[in-house]
Amino acid sequence: MTWQFFKQIPMSEKKKKEVPEDSKLDDIVESSRRDFLKKVGIVGAASVTGAAAIYAGYRHEKEKPSGEMVKVLTEDNRLVEIPKEQVKDYKPDLKALQTRGRVGLKGKKWVMVLDLSKCRNARKCVAACQGAHHLRPYEYHINTLVMQESHNTPAYYMPKTCQHCDNPPCVSVCPVDATFKRQDGIVLIDNERCIGCRFCMAACPYSARMFHWQKPKGEEADKGQEYNIELNVPQKKGTISKCLFSADRLREGMLPYCVSACPNGVFYFGDENENAVTNGTTKETVILSELLEKNGAYRLMPELGTKPRVYYLPPKNRIFEFKQWTPPEYIETT
Amino acid sequence: MRSFFLVILTSLLLLPELKAQEWVVPDDKKGKLSTFSFDDNTRKAGLKIYTTNCMSCHGMPGKGNSLKLVPPPPDPVSQQFQKNSDGELFFKLQIGRGQMPSFKNVLSTDDIWDVISYVRSFNTNYKQLIMPVITSSAYPGSVIKMVLSYNQADSSVILETSAVKGLSSVPVTDAAVKLFVHRTFGLLPVDEEKTTDKNGKAVFKIPHSLPGDTAGNINVSARFTNEDVFGAVSMDTVLNSAIKGTAVSLVARRAIWNNMKNAPVWILLTYIIGLFTALAFIGLVLMKLRDVFIIGDTLSKGGENEVNN
Amino acid sequence: MTTSHSGSARHKERLDSVAEDVLRNVRFNRGFILWMGFLSAVLLVCLYAYVIQLRKGLGVTGLRDITSWGMYISQFVFFVATSLIGMLISSVLGLIGYKWVKPIARIAEIIAVAFAAVAGLVIISDMGRPDRFTYLFMYGRIQSPILWDVTVVTTYLLVSLMLWFIPLVPDLAIAKDRLEGRPKLLVKVYEILSIKWVNHPKQVEILNSTIRILLILIVPLAFAIHTVTSWLFALTPRAGWDSSIFGPYFISGAFVSGTAAVIIAMYFYRKSYKLEKYLTDFHFEKIGRVLALVSIVYIYFNINEFLVPAYKMKALDSIHLQELFSGEYALLFWGVQLFGLLIPTILLLFRQFRKPLPMMVIALFVLAGSWLKRILIVVPPQAHPFLPVQNVPIQWVIYKPTLIESLVTLATLILVLMIITILSKLFPVLPIQELAEEENADLEKQEFNN
Repeated sequence: MTWQFFKQIPMSEKKKKEVPEDSKLDDIVESSRRDFLKKVGIVGAASVTGAAAIYAGYRHEKEKPSGEMVKVLTEDNRLVEIPKEQVKDYKPDLKALQTRGRVGLKGKKWVMVLDLSKCRNARKCVAACQGAHHLRPYEYHINTLVMQESHNTPAYYMPKTCQHCDNPPCVSVCPVDATFKRQDGIVLIDNERCIGCRFCMAACPYSARMFHWQKPKGEEADKGQEYNIELNVPQKKGTISKCLFSADRLREGMLPYCVSACPNGVFYFGDENENAVTNGTTKETVILSELLEKNGAYRLMPELGTKPRVYYLPPKNRIFEFKQWTPPEYIETT
Repeated sequence: MRSFFLVILTSLLLLPELKAQEWVVPDDKKGKLSTFSFDDNTRKAGLKIYTTNCMSCHGMPGKGNSLKLVPPPPDPVSQQFQKNSDGELFFKLQIGRGQMPSFKNVLSTDDIWDVISYVRSFNTNYKQLIMPVITSSAYPGSVIKMVLSYNQADSSVILETSAVKGLSSVPVTDAAVKLFVHRTFGLLPVDEEKTTDKNGKAVFKIPHSLPGDTAGNINVSARFTNEDVFGAVSMDTVLNSAIKGTAVSLVARRAIWNNMKNAPVWILLTYIIGLFTALAFIGLVLMKLRDVFIIGDTLSKGGENEVNN
Repeated sequence: MTTSHSGSARHKERLDSVAEDVLRNVRFNRGFILWMGFLSAVLLVCLYAYVIQLRKGLGVTGLRDITSWGMYISQFVFFVATSLIGMLISSVLGLIGYKWVKPIARIAEIIAVAFAAVAGLVIISDMGRPDRFTYLFMYGRIQSPILWDVTVVTTYLLVSLMLWFIPLVPDLAIAKDRLEGRPKLLVKVYEILSIKWVNHPKQVEILNSTIRILLILIVPLAFAIHTVTSWLFALTPRAGWDSSIFGPYFISGAFVSGTAAVIIAMYFYRKSYKLEKYLTDFHFEKIGRVLALVSIVYIYFNINEFLVPAYKMKALDSIHLQELFSGEYALLFWGVQLFGLLIPTILLLFRQFRKPLPMMVIALFVLAGSWLKRILIVVPPQAHPFLPVQNVPIQWVIYKPTLIESLVTLATLILVLMIITILSKLFPVLPIQELAEEENADLEKQEFNN
C-alpha cells in the first residue's frame, strides 16, 4: 500500500492561490490591467476546469505525455485508470449542483478558529466575502464587530461568521428544508427553496443571517448563471443568504475566502477529523486541540447549547493597541 | 523659533528609536540572488501576488498610501526600500519581523522572486544579477534521494537520504530534515527537526494521537530544511501509521434540526396522530351531515315510515 | 333541546316574529352595496400597495435584517387571537350550559371564521417568496412550528366554519320560504345549504350530536392554534420571546381581544339591525362580565411575563424591559397596558359601564390595545439581539412601518370586514330556531331583572 512519487513543492502551491477576485486595482494596476485580466481569465477558466476536475475527482500526475493513463477518482471514491484522452471536463447542471451541495463532503468536519488577539479590523475578510458572494457593503456573511462587555473589560474586534452550529436553531425552525445541515457540518441555504418567512433569522442568536429585501446587487450580472448552492450565487430577491464556510472553495481544497484574505493571521480553518487547522495568512498548519487548549479557546454563547463549529481565542497579549473604528455611513442602495 | 528647537529635540529623541528599528539581515543571506532573470512575465506574476498579499499594508507603489503602522510599512518605490539588496528583500519577505508577517509558508521561493521582480520595476537604476544554478552545493553533481519507511514496533518513521552520482551512492550526513503530514489545507510538522546521522538516517516519532484516514493511513512528506544546499527535494509516502479516523456524519442522528427522514419519532407521531384525530372527527361530522340530508331527502319523497324505522 | 312537535300556535307565532326580525336584514339594500363598494375601493388601493411589494420586494416595508418581523406578523398574531373567541363563547360557555350565549354564538363564529380565514393571507403578505407558498405542502418539515401553524389554522378554520354552518341549517330551512323579494340565486343557495332540513326529530338528534362533537373538538384546536402561534416566538432563544408562559399568555390575551371584538359586533348589530329585542342589556351585562374576567386573567399573565424577568434583570432581558418600561417603546407600552387593559378592566367592574354604549367604547380601546400589544410582543425583542448591531445603515436599527406596509396590513383588515359583512348580510345573524324556543332563557332574564 505504498505508492510513491516525486513532487516539486512550490509549483502546486502556486496554482491554488490564484483566485479571480473583485479587486479594485488603482492606476498602476490599470496600466497592466488588460494583461492582468487576461491572465485572470485564463486562471479563472483553469480553476473552473480544475473545479470540475476535482469534482469528478481526478488526480493525475503532472505533465504526462499524451496517450498515457491517468488516475481518476470516481464519485463513489474508487481510484480507476483511464486513458488521458478520455478525460472530459465535467460541468455540473443545477440538479447535480443541488445534490452535491446538499450531501456535502464525506469524512470532513470543518472547523474554524479565530484568534481575536490578532484582529485589527482590517475588514479584508468582509470585503473578500462580499466580493465572492456579490453582496453590498452593508450586507454581511461575515462582519467584524467591536465587542466590549463593560468599560472595565477590554474592547476588541470580533469577526463574526455563521457559527455552523451542531444544534442549529435556525435549521430546526425552517418549514421547507431550505436551510439544512450537511454531513461535514456546514449549514447551507438553498435559495431555490427558501420561501422567505425569516423564521431562521428570528431563531439565530448570532444574527448570522441576512435577507434580500430588494433586488440583489449582482442580479443583472449573474443572470443566466447556474445557481450554485455552495456559493449561493446568483443571490435571489426575497430569500435568505448567509455564510457558507465557502463550501465551493472547500470542495476544491482551498481555504474559505475570508480565511485567505486576512492579512493579520486571525483565521485558522481545517478538518476536525484531522485535528489540524491551517492559518489563512501564514499557511502554517497546527494541531487543532493544542491550539485550542494552549490559548484558552471558547465558543460564543455556550449556554444556548447551539454547539458552534467556530472557536474563538481570547484577545490577550495583543501586540497592538486597540483603535476605535468609526464605520462609514452606510446608505442603502438599490 | 521654539518650534524649530522642538523639531530638533524630537528628531534627537527619535534617532535612537529609528536606529533600533533598523532591520539587519545576516551577512550570508544578503548576497542571495534569483536563479532566473526578471521579465514581463515574472513582473506580472509579482503584481498579482503583491496585490493579494502586500498591498493591504504597503499600499499602491508610488502612491504613499501605506497603512499607518509603527514602524510604517515602506512604499516599494521609496529609496529606503530600493536600497535593499535582492537577498535582503528575499530574507525580509521570507522571515518577516513584528507586524511584517513571514511569507515562508505562503509564498514559494519563485513567488518571492516574482514579487521582487515586480517591485524592482519601479527602480530604473536596477540591474539584476543572476545566480548560477547549483543542484546541490554539498554533493556537487549528485542527485539527492530520500526513502521513507515505517517501523510499527515503536511507531517511528525512518528517513534514509543518499546522494547518487552515476553508480555510486553515499549517505547525506549532518543535514537538517523535517517530516510533515499532509492535512487538507497544508503540511503539519511531525516531531522536531532532525539531523541525519552518518548513515544518512533520521528517525521521527509519530505521535499516538495523530488521526489518519478511515484506514489509518497518512500521507507524509520529508524535506531538507536548507533547500539552498540540497535543493527542493521532498519525498511523499503513504504510511499506515496513524490512528483510524472516524468519518461520522454530523447529520446521522435523529434531531429536531435534521431533515424529515431523521426527525425525532415523538414529533412525527404527535403531529400525525393529532392531525388524523382532528380529520377523523371532521369526517365523522360530514358523514352525519350526509345522514341529515338523506333523512330529509327520503322524507320529501314521502318515505316517512322508512325514516322512523 | 327537543322541539315540541305539538305545533302550538304560540310557538308558530313566536317563530314568525323572530324570523321576521332577523330576516329583515338579509337583503341587498343600499347600505350594503355602498359599504361593500367602499370596502372594495379601499381594498383595491391596498392591493396596489401589495403589487408594489411583490415587484420591489419586502424592502418597501420598514423591515430589515435587525427587525425582520413587524406589522404583518403582529397582524397575524392579532387575527389568530381574535378568532379564538368562537371557541370561548360557543364551546366553553355553551358547554357549561349558559343559555344567554345563544344569540351571541353565531356572531362569535362569524368573527372566528373571518379572522382565521384571513390570518393565512396575512402570513403570505409577509413572505419574501409568496410564489413558493405551495412549497409548504411539497417540502414541509414537520419539525417546524410554521407547519404546525398552517395545519392548525386550516383545521380550526374548517371546524369554525362548520360550527357556524351546522346550527344555521335549521334557520336556512325556515328562511328559504320567507325570502320574498330577494334574488333567486340567494333562495337557491339557501335551498342547497339547508341540506333537506325538515326538522324531523332524527335530524335534530343527529345535528345536535355533530354540534357537540365539534364543540369539544374545537377546544384543543383553539388552544393549539394560539399556543403554536406563541411558539413561533417562544421557540427561539431571544430575550423577550424566550418565555415558558407564552402559550397561556397568548391565549388569555386572545380571549380579551376576541371578547372585545364580539362586543363591538353585538353593538353594531343591535343598532343597525334593530335587534334590541334579542341583544338586550342583559346580554351586554353578561358579556361585560366575561370581558372583565378574561382581562383579569390576562393582567395576571402580564404580571408574570414582566415581573419575573424584571426581578432577575438578566443582561438582555434588562435591555428589553428597559426599552419597554422607559425607553423607545415606553409610551406605547404604558398606553397599551393602561388604556387597553387596566383601566377598561377597572371600569368593567362597575355595573354602570356594562351597558351597551360604554361597553362598546371600552371594547374599542381594548381591541386597539390588543393590536398594539401584538406589535409590542413582536417588534422590541428583535431590536436588541445577542450580538451588537453594527456597520449597517442607520435606518435598519429602529423599525418604522412604511405606508405600503400599513396599506397591505389594512387590506387584510378590509378582507375580514368583507367576510363578516357577507356572512351577516346574506345569512341570518341570530339563530332563529333557537331564539323561538327561548323560554328558558326568558326565565333567566326575568330573574336577572328582578
